[in-house]
Amino acid sequence: MFSQLKARFGSSLAVGILGMIAIWLLGMVILPQLLMVDYSFRPNLFPSEIGGPKDVYSLGNYETLFSNLIHLKIFLKTIWSSVLVTVLTLLVSYPIAFYLAKVATPRQAAFCLLLLVIPFWINEILRTFAWYIILAYKGPLNAMLLGMGVIDRPIRFLSGDGGVLIGMVYAYILFMIFPIYNAIESLDTNQVKAARNLGAGWIRTHWRVIIPHAKPGIATGCIMTFMLAAGSYAVPSLLGSPGSRWFTQIIYNWFFEGGDWNQGAAYAFLLLIICIGFIALVMRIFKVGLGDIAK
Amino acid sequence: MDSSVHLDNVVMEFGDFTAIQKTDLKIESGEFFSFLGPSGCGKTTILNMISGFLDPTHGDVKIGGQAMRGVPANKRPTSMIFQNLALFPLMTVAENIEFGLEVRGVSKAERKKASDRLLELVALEGSGTKKVSELSGGQKQRIAIARALAVEPQVLLLDEPLSALDLKLRQHMRIELKEIQRKTGITFIYITHDQGEALTMSDRVAVMSAGRIQQVADPITLYRDPKTAFVASFVGENNGISGRVAQLNNGIAELDCGVLGRLQGRVQDGVNVGDNATVFIRPEHFRLQADSNMLTIPSAIEEVNFEGSYLTLNANTQAQTSLSIQLGSHQYTQDLIKGAPVSLSYRAEDAVVIGGDHV
Repeated sequence: MFSQLKARFGSSLAVGILGMIAIWLLGMVILPQLLMVDYSFRPNLFPSEIGGPKDVYSLGNYETLFSNLIHLKIFLKTIWSSVLVTVLTLLVSYPIAFYLAKVATPRQAAFCLLLLVIPFWINEILRTFAWYIILAYKGPLNAMLLGMGVIDRPIRFLSGDGGVLIGMVYAYILFMIFPIYNAIESLDTNQVKAARNLGAGWIRTHWRVIIPHAKPGIATGCIMTFMLAAGSYAVPSLLGSPGSRWFTQIIYNWFFEGGDWNQGAAYAFLLLIICIGFIALVMRIFKVGLGDIAK
Repeated sequence: MDSSVHLDNVVMEFGDFTAIQKTDLKIESGEFFSFLGPSGCGKTTILNMISGFLDPTHGDVKIGGQAMRGVPANKRPTSMIFQNLALFPLMTVAENIEFGLEVRGVSKAERKKASDRLLELVALEGSGTKKVSELSGGQKQRIAIARALAVEPQVLLLDEPLSALDLKLRQHMRIELKEIQRKTGITFIYITHDQGEALTMSDRVAVMSAGRIQQVADPITLYRDPKTAFVASFVGENNGISGRVAQLNNGIAELDCGVLGRLQGRVQDGVNVGDNATVFIRPEHFRLQADSNMLTIPSAIEEVNFEGSYLTLNANTQAQTSLSIQLGSHQYTQDLIKGAPVSLSYRAEDAVVIGGDHV
């Protein structure tokens, strides 16, 4: 890399560029993370005690989660709900991605993509607030459903997990649609025709030909959605009721309300580690390699 | 079983564009039938209509006497071999072949039996567990054939399946396809722009141009008695010389071709004295010696190409038109050099006169 930069910019500028990248990476990415790792293994002490005899490394902060049943329950619920969000987002996104990639004319596809992207020019908090209004007890969705006679009294979307699930599916839908769209678009249309020609109905054509081809895209979309959902803060704080707290809210509380950065850091790492482990497991089950995802 | 295909007054329009002009054509049960034409002539559209990927705007496709309008592609008794083969890359060879049977709910054991039998038919025994990517071009070709035959179609549709192969393999596969057709006895409908393929394999050929069928005939008739100027110049090489009909006599027309004098050829009904017409002479029908029983075009050699078993010559006539001539290699002499005068002779019954100017 240095020689390429040197050939292009000369050695002094090349050193400068690489130096800045190094400072940025080390100072702004790696060191803070290491500091957090360091924090997570130390007890939370008064400033006067830091560096004293009590300041020793231990796994205590990590053990807290397993001794606090409420936190553990919220932790497991967060993972489970993120799985639900991922599955729901996949169910919604796959037909859209297939339509965009194989059914729509280029003009229609461009138009639909624009419709999908424009709302994302708006800040996430505002978008989530929009859902808060839509899903409210006396909001437009309930009014519409009542008007159509689908329900006979309003649904409380915003108590419990329903609102959070809906909000998250919407928040992360693009992260699911785009990788699947890319994967399906690269499928030779003759493959679909061949399957049809050999007698396959639409369900089997998708199951045996299109989905196997799109698997890397589906995996990429699912991983992104799952990670974003598990690490989401805005959507559960706005659309969730106190009864449906997300683990990120607990981490936030440790940092900024409890003032216990050490405990917060440990919780954050636990979430990260479990999520990575979970993803690795799912990739194993569905036989997706890392190389497939990097495509 | 009746596996005839009837294009019953079919018209295909895409918006303002008419891809297939009104066509009525019956392909017999067990026939090897080809559609031959340049790209964009509508031959693939015809295949898509038969296979059910398109429904005609007017008229209907009938397979085995059954109307097919509204029958989706997966319910038709046809099976297609795609130009790019479209094998499923994520399945093994056997899974590819068995796919159509799996769809039909055939048991695993029966499927295995069928794929073994088909692999034997295409001479690839024991390749069932291989991945598609491990096969060579010719092998992939055969797997595509086996996969299409597995569903026991009444009609096999082939969309230029040999175009990706090299010359040797292509010639070999022609023979093999013909052999498979003979063994299975099902109707083959073959699409190609390669006249060699169409002529060697087919029982009958439909020559298409601009969405219209120009002529339907067996290969020999097509070559010897083209009905339109397009067929005459598209099927095989041909030299066309335009003129005006001066005389008609016993199926022979005499054309007044200006500087080149009077030239003759066989003519069909519908051409009258005074019409513009073109006489088509095949390169292999020329001789280099003047002969009182034959028609002669005095010319000068422009170019001589040695092609192995034969020679091709280009000669310039006095009307400054270029003619191509094909001779057996044994006829080569030292005199055949650029600029040498030759008397190109042909027999009137070897040439064909078609009404209209040469295109």
